[in-house]
Amino acid sequence: MSRFMHRLKQVVRLAAKEWKLLLRNPHGLAVLFLMPAVFVLVMSFTLKNTLVARVELPTTGWVLEDSIPAAAQWAGEWLARHGGQRFASRGELQVALKARRVEAGVIVRDPWMGKDGRPRGEQLEMWLGNRVQPAAAARLRAELMFSTLQVQMKIAAAEAGPFASILLGSAASAELLPAQGAPAIRYLYEIESGRTMTAVQQSVPAWLIFGMFFVVIPIAGVLIQERNDGTLTRLATFGVSPGVVLGGKLLAFMLLNWVQLAFMLLVGRWLVPQLGGDALHLDIAPGWFLLMVATTSAAAVSLALLIAARTRSFDHAAALGGGLNVVLGAIAGVMVPRMLMPPTLQTVSEWSPMGWALDGMQSVFLGDPDAAHILPRAGLLLGFAAVCLLLSWRPIRNQEYAN
Amino acid sequence: MSADDGLVIAAEQLVYRYPGQVEPALCGVDLRLVHGQAVGLLGPNGSGKSTLINLLIGLRTPQGGRVHHAGGREPVVAWVPQEYAFYPDLSCRENLHFFASMLDLPAIEATRRVEAAMASCMLHEFADRRARHCSGGVRRRLNLSIGLLQQPDVLLLDEPTVGVDPQTRAFLLERVRELVRAGTAVLYATHYMEEVSAVCSHILLLDHGRVLASGDLATLLHGPEGSAPFDHLEALFMHYTQRPLRD
Repeated sequence: MSRFMHRLKQVVRLAAKEWKLLLRNPHGLAVLFLMPAVFVLVMSFTLKNTLVARVELPTTGWVLEDSIPAAAQWAGEWLARHGGQRFASRGELQVALKARRVEAGVIVRDPWMGKDGRPRGEQLEMWLGNRVQPAAAARLRAELMFSTLQVQMKIAAAEAGPFASILLGSAASAELLPAQGAPAIRYLYEIESGRTMTAVQQSVPAWLIFGMFFVVIPIAGVLIQERNDGTLTRLATFGVSPGVVLGGKLLAFMLLNWVQLAFMLLVGRWLVPQLGGDALHLDIAPGWFLLMVATTSAAAVSLALLIAARTRSFDHAAALGGGLNVVLGAIAGVMVPRMLMPPTLQTVSEWSPMGWALDGMQSVFLGDPDAAHILPRAGLLLGFAAVCLLLSWRPIRNQEYAN
Repeated sequence: MSADDGLVIAAEQLVYRYPGQVEPALCGVDLRLVHGQAVGLLGPNGSGKSTLINLLIGLRTPQGGRVHHAGGREPVVAWVPQEYAFYPDLSCRENLHFFASMLDLPAIEATRRVEAAMASCMLHEFADRRARHCSGGVRRRLNLSIGLLQQPDVLLLDEPTVGVDPQTRAFLLERVRELVRAGTAVLYATHYMEEVSAVCSHILLLDHGRVLASGDLATLLHGPEGSAPFDHLEALFMHYTQRPLRD
């Protein structure tokens, strides 16, 4: 028993030493705390428009190359409803786009009307400034097509006489489809949780996981130095076994992951709203949340130990660990949400450690988690951690005992 | 020799071959370390000095022969490596406290040993300075002081004075002599012959994993029977190991 207690004390003191070294390593702290926080801020605002059903129309400049009155009336009605301005030529529009006075342009080519006397959609040309989001461009395109269709219907109604006008009713009216008249869009997680999906709710778990896996940088920094300077061997002569060395690092960095978690929750809950974003909702299932954080942490620290144990220098470990994390993050949907991925990549992303972590964590943060969804992913993460630890055990043992 | 002769630890006919190597790193090596005696461990690079030290610490297991100790309790064996085997971002005091905390000692005893080690190696002035910011000489003293925390019966020193100025070298050699006078058995591995002459009464000369010469230094300097005595230890070393470069 006293031998066990002595080993336990060694583990705790090794962990305390790791924390002391980390607190003196500003670069390591920046990678673990600042980097994911900056990503949360950037992505919470970047994805804000992507994750909502309604997207704002870009400010639009118009060039009418067809001088018929119907085109002028149509453009005038659009400008009155949505704002924007007219330009005399393509050249002027191009200058305005470049100067960002308008975000997009619509050119009504001559002839706008077809031989049948109806406006033709293909005679419209859309120019986009380089910063217009694809979703905003898609909405502008849809509004233009629908507005053109309305003009066609009004002309058809006028030609058909009073009876047809009554039948067509408001569809042929001057009003464009109002936003509140559009079908409501609800993702499954919104139906389950009763909350609106926000970018911050998506970004915090994603970048938290990413940051947790970056413990590879401080772990590799210390372990490789310990190995190369003979400190591991010296520890062995002080009666510190490889298992205790591993235990100390696991304890230190798994605790650190919890500090990262608290920090990221603070960023999402407090900092993002301060800057005008949505606040992170924290009414989440605590049991599943703790399980997902613990298993993700075990996987992250174990992978970091494996990389540190199997690389020869810190440069090697930093390049391999950092690169691997970026690739794993890209595959898992940390950088780009899965909803924006093609179906094949979505399937691939379900088979990576960060993917398991993200699946489970997002179900906690966004929806209604249950055992059938969480337990398999937590199990996969624990299995992954066990394999990594097994693979790192032998090199650490050899390094400690083979100076 | 019996335990009464002061024997602390002995190696008998040690054989060790690294995995995948044809030639053994050590072949039939004998060594005796006795209380209050320093043995100089000499040999060109790759001669087997570090392998012998690893076997004595117990970090490797010999494939032939054995390492054994005399008498009752197992002797405490401390190792001071050639590298700065501590944490550069901890202060000297923090390093000592950390390594002391790895020993199974009450807190008071651990603190006492830290203070004693700092006093022995004159580290108090630099106690709160991070090791990274200390001079090479202070780091060498810290490296030695960490070994002293174990209050060893046997101290294995692997090139403990590399890269230090003459003052620090003299200081370190005097500390080692003090330890020997206090009864510690010392194995002193180095390439500096004058240090062996200054500290050690015995030597073990290795090459290609085999013992070329072993025993009392003064006797060995008399040379083999029928030949002229050696002027100094380096002449003895070159006589046995010959001239060609080794690496």
